Amino acid sequence: MTERILESVSQLLLLLALAPLVTGVIRTLKARLQTRRGPGILQPYRDLLKLFRKGMVIPETASWIFSAAPWIVFFSTILAGLMIPMVAADAPLGLFGGALAVIYLLGLGRFFLALSGLDTGGSFGGLGSSREMTISALAEPAMMLAIFTVAIGAGSTGLTEIAGAAIGQTWRFLAPAQMFAFAALAVVLIAETGRIPVDNPATHLELTMIHEAMILEYSGPYLALVEWAASIKQLVLMTLLINCFWPVGLQPTWFGFGALIGIVWLLAKLLLLSCAIVLLETVNAKMRLFRVPELLAVAFTLGSLALVSTFLF
Amino acid sequence: MLMKPFLDMQFGERIITLMAALVLVLQIAVVAQRWIVTHIRIFAIQSFLLAMIAATIAWFNHAPHIYVAAALTLVVKVILVPILFERLVVRMDIREEIKPIINVPLSVVISGGLTLLGYVVAESFYKPDEPGLGHNELAVAISLFLIGFFTMINRRKALTQVLALLSLENGLFLAAISLTYGMPLIVELGILFDVLVAAMVLGILVYRIRESFESMDVSLLRRLRG
Amino acid sequence: MLLIALLLIPISTAAASYFARRREEMERANLTGFGLTFLIAIALAAQVLAHGTVSLANGFFYADALSALVILLTALVALVCATYSIGYLRDDQESGELGEEVEEQIAQLRMYSTLTPLFVFSMMFVAVANNLGVMWAAIEATTLVSVFLVTFYGKVTSLEAAWKYAIIGGVGLSMALFGTLVTYYAGHRLAGSDALAGLNWSVLAQHAELLDKTSMRLAFVLILMGYGTKAGLAPMHTWKPDAYSEAPVPSAAILSSAMLNCALYGLIRFYILTSRSLGTEYPSHLLLLFGLLSMGISVPFILVQKNYRRLLAYHTIDHSGIMVTALGLGGPLGTLGLMLHMTFHTIAKSLLFLCAGNVRQHFKTDLFSEIKGSVIRVMPLTGVIFLMAMLAIIGTPPFSLFQSEFLIVRAAFDGGHLLTGVLFVLFGTGVFAGALLHVGGMILGPKGDMPVAPRRPWRDGSLLALVTVLVVIGFWVPAPLLELIRGAAKVVSGQ
Repeated sequence: MTERILESVSQLLLLLALAPLVTGVIRTLKARLQTRRGPGILQPYRDLLKLFRKGMVIPETASWIFSAAPWIVFFSTILAGLMIPMVAADAPLGLFGGALAVIYLLGLGRFFLALSGLDTGGSFGGLGSSREMTISALAEPAMMLAIFTVAIGAGSTGLTEIAGAAIGQTWRFLAPAQMFAFAALAVVLIAETGRIPVDNPATHLELTMIHEAMILEYSGPYLALVEWAASIKQLVLMTLLINCFWPVGLQPTWFGFGALIGIVWLLAKLLLLSCAIVLLETVNAKMRLFRVPELLAVAFTLGSLALVSTFLF
Repeated sequence: MLMKPFLDMQFGERIITLMAALVLVLQIAVVAQRWIVTHIRIFAIQSFLLAMIAATIAWFNHAPHIYVAAALTLVVKVILVPILFERLVVRMDIREEIKPIINVPLSVVISGGLTLLGYVVAESFYKPDEPGLGHNELAVAISLFLIGFFTMINRRKALTQVLALLSLENGLFLAAISLTYGMPLIVELGILFDVLVAAMVLGILVYRIRESFESMDVSLLRRLRG
Repeated sequence: MLLIALLLIPISTAAASYFARRREEMERANLTGFGLTFLIAIALAAQVLAHGTVSLANGFFYADALSALVILLTALVALVCATYSIGYLRDDQESGELGEEVEEQIAQLRMYSTLTPLFVFSMMFVAVANNLGVMWAAIEATTLVSVFLVTFYGKVTSLEAAWKYAIIGGVGLSMALFGTLVTYYAGHRLAGSDALAGLNWSVLAQHAELLDKTSMRLAFVLILMGYGTKAGLAPMHTWKPDAYSEAPVPSAAILSSAMLNCALYGLIRFYILTSRSLGTEYPSHLLLLFGLLSMGISVPFILVQKNYRRLLAYHTIDHSGIMVTALGLGGPLGTLGLMLHMTFHTIAKSLLFLCAGNVRQHFKTDLFSEIKGSVIRVMPLTGVIFLMAMLAIIGTPPFSLFQSEFLIVRAAFDGGHLLTGVLFVLFGTGVFAGALLHVGGMILGPKGDMPVAPRRPWRDGSLLALVTVLVVIGFWVPAPLLELIRGAAKVVSGQ
């Protein structure tokens, strides 16, 4: 019992601390690739601190949803984060939910965020919410199919079991079903975290924003919470992708010297994935909104092929 | 000890399956995208993977005549035909495909369905006691065939139809390798020669269509009726 | 030896024409080349009649009665069309169809005189290749060469026709390749099949009972759809009317007779393998289906046709249907009817196209409505021959096609295929009515405003020669030819 609590707290601290770092690394890498200097790896921390100290402006037309949404998003994302294996194969709250719970929690957060975008009555908010919902309507089935593929391979939807099964066989990754599922999840990762080519996280042009449009009215601590939640969600999805398919370095438990090795492996794998994301963002341009369903249709098809091929291979 | 994986049959099977799966993913990518130059390059990569699959089979089954088929495929389909078509695209200055008849997301899903159909057909060929690669590669081959066929009907630019026809041939090549370790060498030679000449002939036709119609849109070819 | 000569002569003719400078040189090269080819074809037929089969290079080249018949017919058509094209192209040159500058005209002539022998070369290769894969490559080669013949006049409509031809043909041939591949798979358990001989028709035919049955089923369907596309069976026939109406007339004549025979030849070879492996029921059902479908589809298109070259094309589709139905009926009667029909149809159809060429060049139009029946007054020789050939091809007695169609109907009723027989007669009547109506209306009638056509020695001469052959054969088939036809029928039916 106490072990559980200690594990949960450790993973919580790791999530909170690591998320802005990942965002900062991605931004800096992207800047460097474009021969700029970039804002520095620690900039997101400074941003968060600054935002927490600033005053807040809340629109008069907003209801309780506007004030509640940042908290709901933040806590649901953290809860989801506690259910995934990060350093140890055994997720701290793994008993309370597996892959489906993670998906639902993230979906809950997104739902409230979309509501808050609509809440203020401004046009940008509504625009962002509807776009976000369109994308997630297409991305979620793909994600679920890919997760189910992996789950069938492991015999359970519990992420602990999935990671455990993946540890056992090294060449399993080369099986086509796994590859298709990986490809599908990678596309969904791009869509859910709002990166190019689906959404540009650095833009505020009305034609091109999706996530930014929903949170346009937020300021001060609420904005800090929402941004932090976004980077935690990004971390959660990245870790999910890495540890379900390539769980090298996952330790049996959180304690002991092994934990440090686990953290180092995690950081290394995150760095690798960040480089891939940065490369993808730099090489591609943002897709027009009505082209996004095409990309997601590919993810969906890959996901269904992955699922079916577990039976056929 | 380092060489051990390279002699192990299982490892070979896995590598071949991996490459075949990549070929399939690339084929679905072709259906999803709309740039002609990308299509040509994906075709080149697919043909390269097929040549590698042939070479891997030749290695693991000690069948040297398949090396020749692999080398020929490399020369004709990976180097000559893509260069020919890229030059054609540059001369004609057409980069993008116009809207296909069935929109892209639906065609991607249909391609997924055709892949399943390919698996079902390949199942009937699979006899466990036979030597051969197992039904994965044959399924991918038949899927390539069916998806190429579908792309031909769905797309309207002449050059895309030609590329789809060539990917049909690719599917047949893979089917030949997976069913019978390739056909007799002279047959492979004849077929590859035909493919090359067909690519040239069709390229010339496409160019002339572009010149006459100012466009490669084959739905404009509708003067002959009845 | 003869087999090699059969292949070498067309190639050298092509080379000679390519390097020739003047029109007369090209004409002479083509004429001598095809004349020689025809003589060699006759010699080959004689040898086959004497020895049964002729083979060379360890069975790589192989000719039996079926091959010899197809080769003979191809050579005949090539020779006649070469003679005709001399006059035809001279007329085109004068009327400016080939281009304004002399250079352009010579270039066009060179293209024609080089491509036609190459075309004939590939068709000969189809008939002498023993290996099914090589045969496939040769059939694909015929498509690739003839595509440029279809685009000869460079019009927008020619491009369209050539594109349809190339693409539909390409897809069909891919299916045929798949079928060939599956056949190879079906036979790969036979001894020595890793070598070249594994796809040799003669080897496979001998051991046909050992072929894997499920694979042969799939293979036959693929081959039927694949080579059927090339032969113009419905529903894969849509390229035919366009290609035949846009190609220059002698090329269209060769396409509709000789190349059709080659496509059917490929189909027949696979039919023999399938029927020996699976029995005749399965392939015959499929063949009857496609054959009757082709016959049926051509009827409405012939009845409402406005363009006489397209009418001839639909007619060819009808006849492919007839021949495929005959193949499907099988048995001694059916196969004999098939071979007779193939022979007679070749002669009559090429004759028809050549007459149509005459009409076109004089009236400069393809439509019935603009000709209005004055052919018989303006071009009496062509008119008479056209009418005779038309009557022949729709099966009027005493012409030869009546005999072959009658044989086929008899085979249908004898074999118990009542529905087939009835449909055959029905569709035949429809085609009869439509064709006679349109063509008769075009030929017979009062004289319009066109002046009487001048004499044209080359073209009229070739027409006369061919029609004489047609009429004579109607009454008396020379014994060696009849034996060759019977031999071919025996190869198909196995008796």
